This record gives sequence, structure tokens and C-alpha cells, in this order.
Amino acid sequence: MKILTVALNTFREAIRDRILYLLLFFAAIGIAFSRFLALLTVGDRVKIIKDVGLASISLFGMLMAILIGTGLVYKEIDKKTIFTLMAKPIHRYQFLLGKYLGLVFTLAVMIGLMSFIFLALIFAHTLTIEWKLLIAILFIFIELCVITAVAILFSCFSTPILSSLYSLAFYLIGHLSWGMETLIAKTKPGWGKTLLKIIYTFLPDLENFNFKTEVVHNLPIPGNIYWHSFLYGFFYSLFLLALAMLIFHRKDFV
Amino acid sequence: MSRKSSIYTAMALVSLVIFMGLKLKLDQIPRQKVPGSSIIYLPSGKYLKYATFGYSSMLADLIYIWAIQYYCNYNIPDRFQYLEHIFSIISVLDPHYLDPYELGSMIAIYEAHDAQLAFRLLEMGFEKNPQEWIFPYIAGHYAQMFLKDYQLARKYYKQALTIKGSPPILKRLYAHATYRLGDYQTAWQNWLQIYQESQDERIKKIALNHLYLVKSAMDKEKVETALRRFREKFGYFPQQLEDLVHQGFLKEIPKDLDGRDYVYHKEEGTISAPRSPWKR
Repeated sequence: MKILTVALNTFREAIRDRILYLLLFFAAIGIAFSRFLALLTVGDRVKIIKDVGLASISLFGMLMAILIGTGLVYKEIDKKTIFTLMAKPIHRYQFLLGKYLGLVFTLAVMIGLMSFIFLALIFAHTLTIEWKLLIAILFIFIELCVITAVAILFSCFSTPILSSLYSLAFYLIGHLSWGMETLIAKTKPGWGKTLLKIIYTFLPDLENFNFKTEVVHNLPIPGNIYWHSFLYGFFYSLFLLALAMLIFHRKDFV
Repeated sequence: MSRKSSIYTAMALVSLVIFMGLKLKLDQIPRQKVPGSSIIYLPSGKYLKYATFGYSSMLADLIYIWAIQYYCNYNIPDRFQYLEHIFSIISVLDPHYLDPYELGSMIAIYEAHDAQLAFRLLEMGFEKNPQEWIFPYIAGHYAQMFLKDYQLARKYYKQALTIKGSPPILKRLYAHATYRLGDYQTAWQNWLQIYQESQDERIKKIALNHLYLVKSAMDKEKVETALRRFREKFGYFPQQLEDLVHQGFLKEIPKDLDGRDYVYHKEEGTISAPRSPWKR
């Protein structure tokens, strides 16, 4: 209940943030721009709209998660409001989880709005609602949940600017880590290879949430990947939140 | 360490083990990928796909759109130099995007007048999308129309015909390429099969016209060979075609598919069909 109260307050706080609307505005522009970009192509215009639309949702969603998430906890500490909060009968983990869920809820609303614009644009072209696109959007949302957890983690011990940079680095690593497969394949068996494998499995692999290409091209997606990807996102977020709780628990607010 | 800290640490460790296990499991689930598509280089030698951060499909769109504008600019004299490279990059970024292969091959054949380049782009598309009949179909069309290489055209049409969902016109194109190759017997069998199998009156009419054309070609070949042999023996072409039968060069004078006599051109020693196959 206390988590929910903090979550609702975080949601109220987040939706008052001007940067959210600025990003939503640019996301809408990005999605709408795909229509004009499609005019320049030869062949399947809808493909361009789908690609640019999904990329806009993912990119601007990521910016929302990072730019708002990194300030959530830091602002409370910076403005000293954390002292008032900690004086109330609320556990620190409840406060953190509330902050996290509040931002996740905000992102869900924003993703919903962007998806509506996107699907409406697709509908205007094909006169059908392509539900399969929602799979890609759902996994973009799960990816954003992981990014939000990262932002909250860094927000516990760093300034918003540094936290944004760290979170952005996490995002980039998450989309580049698959390249380590090549390095592992070329490394001779031994300690080095084992170490690389451990690093590889530890580093985030955000490509596990990337179904954009499969959905746009209507390619078959193995059924068991959905659950595995979802659970991967869930436990990665849990790991990051547990670290955040551990750090936040050790902070001295007295 | 306090109790809460221990709980959080345990939670982090358990989550760590679980997500690392899931990561290993996820790597074992095969996702549709194209061999060799994971590594591509730009002229600068940079790893392009790494730079896309998961937006490879959108980057492919942007390069494709840029390429269209680039190849529409006739003021760039050597713009075809990097055609293959540009469209190869698009194909690596988004191997299942079909339009670039088609457009790239079109630019290669119509603008650059480089049929081999067009074939390479289409084969690249086919290699990455083996379920798409459109690539061998277009390649066959280019081989037939631009190179007049009916053997090659037949090879591509045959390839396209083996793919599920290929359109019926491919059988007709294959049969016509066979006819143009001079293999009249096979062409006759192909067209006859099309005629017998089709339920569409329009297709039947087309097949019948082609059967007329093939039979005329076969008869022309047979009669003109006999005419040449007649002249070799007597020093002149016969007054009438019946003389070929009287002198034992032919068993009978063939008639066209409608039962009409062929027109005999005595001076040239040739025959022609009494009417156009398309105006019967």
C-alpha cells in the first residue's frame, strides 16, 4: 500500500515534468515524420513507417526513462525532502520500489500514447490494426523497465548528469554486448575465455528485447523466447533494484 | 552486516544467478538470422552494425532512401561505382528488406547497363530470402530481355518455379524461353501442358497461340531442310511444296495448327505461317 502511494505520487510528479512532454512531442514528430520519409522511398512505404515508428518509441522511451529516472531519488536527497520522508513509517525499499513503479507506470502511459499514434498511422495506410506490432512494443517496454532500474540505481549515489551518462552507457553496452560472441569464439580455451564468458553473461543483452525486425518482416519468432526474455528482463531489473536498495539502505539520512 | 543488507545482497545474488542462467538459455534459442550478416564494414572500416544500437532496420531504410535520391542525380558521373557496396550494406543491415535488391538490380540494368551486377544483387536477395520467387523471376526477365540469353533465363525461371507460391506466368515465361532457345520439342510439351492444365480461357488462348507458333517453327525447320536438300540435288527450289513429297524428301506437307497450308516463297526457298499467331 505504501509502495503504491509512493508510486502514485511519483507518477503525479513525473507527469508534471516538462521534459516528459517535450520528449513525447518529439516522439510524435518522429512517428509522424516516418510518413514523410516513406514518401521518398520506392516500394513498401509501410515498412519505413513501421521501422521509424518503432525506433522512435524505443529511442524516446529510453530518453524518458533515463532523464526522469536519474533525477527521481537524487532530487529527494538534494531538496532534503528525503529527511521528512524517512521520518515517516516507511521502509527505504518501499520508497525505492514506489519510485520505480511510479516511473514504470508513467512510461507505460507514454508508450501507450506513442503506440496509439503509431498504430493509427499504420491503420491510415493499411486499414488494418497490426496487432503483431504490439509484441515489439511490449518488449520495448520491458527494456525500458530495465533501463528505469538502472537509472534508479545510479540515482541513489550519483548526480543526475553522471547517472544519465552511466545509464546511457548501460544502454549502449546492452545493444553491443552480442559482439562479444565473436571475441569469445576467437579466444583460445582457458581462463581468458571463461572470464570473457562470465563477463558476457553478466553484461546486459538488450537485444533480447529487440523484436522490431521480426515483427516488421513478419518473421517467425520462437514461442519460448517470449517468456525467457520477459524473465530475463524481470530478474535483471530485480538485480539492479536489489543493488539500489542495498546502497540506499546504507545511506545516512539522520 | 544488518539483516536487511543481507536480504538485499541475497536478493541481488539470486537475481544475478537467475538472469545469467536465462541469458545462457536465451542464447540457445535460435532466432532467424542470415549467415554472415553480423559483420559488415563501411569503407572507413568501422563496424557498422555495432553503431546502429539495435536500429539496424531503420538505418537500412535511411541508407536506402538516401541511395534512391543519390541515384536519381544524373549529375554524378561515376555514381554506379559503389552501387553494389551500398546495396550490400542495406542487405546486411536488413536482409529481409526486399525492395532494395529489386531497385538496386533495376538501377544496375537500366542505368548502369551492367547485367552481371544486377544478377549479383538479385542473387544476394535470393540467398538471404530463399522463399522469394521474385528474385529469380526478375533475373530471368533481365537475362531474356537484355542479354537474350535464353539458357540463363530458363535457369532462373526454373529456379523461381520451384518456390511455393510462384505465379502461373512463370510457366509461360519458361516455355517461351525454351522456344526462343530453339528447343521446340520441349517448348511444345511445356505449352501443351499449360493449355491442358489451365482453367482460364484467356490462358488457354495464349497457350494455343504459342502452340501455333512452336508448331510453325518446327514445320518451317523441317520443310526448309527438305527444300535445301532438294536444291542441292536438282540445283533449284521446287515449283511447289508437293514436289518434296514426290521426290521423297518429305512424307507429307505439314499444315499449320488450324489445318491451313503454309505460304511457300519459291525464290528464297522458305515457308511462312499463313497468319500471325496473335491474329488467329
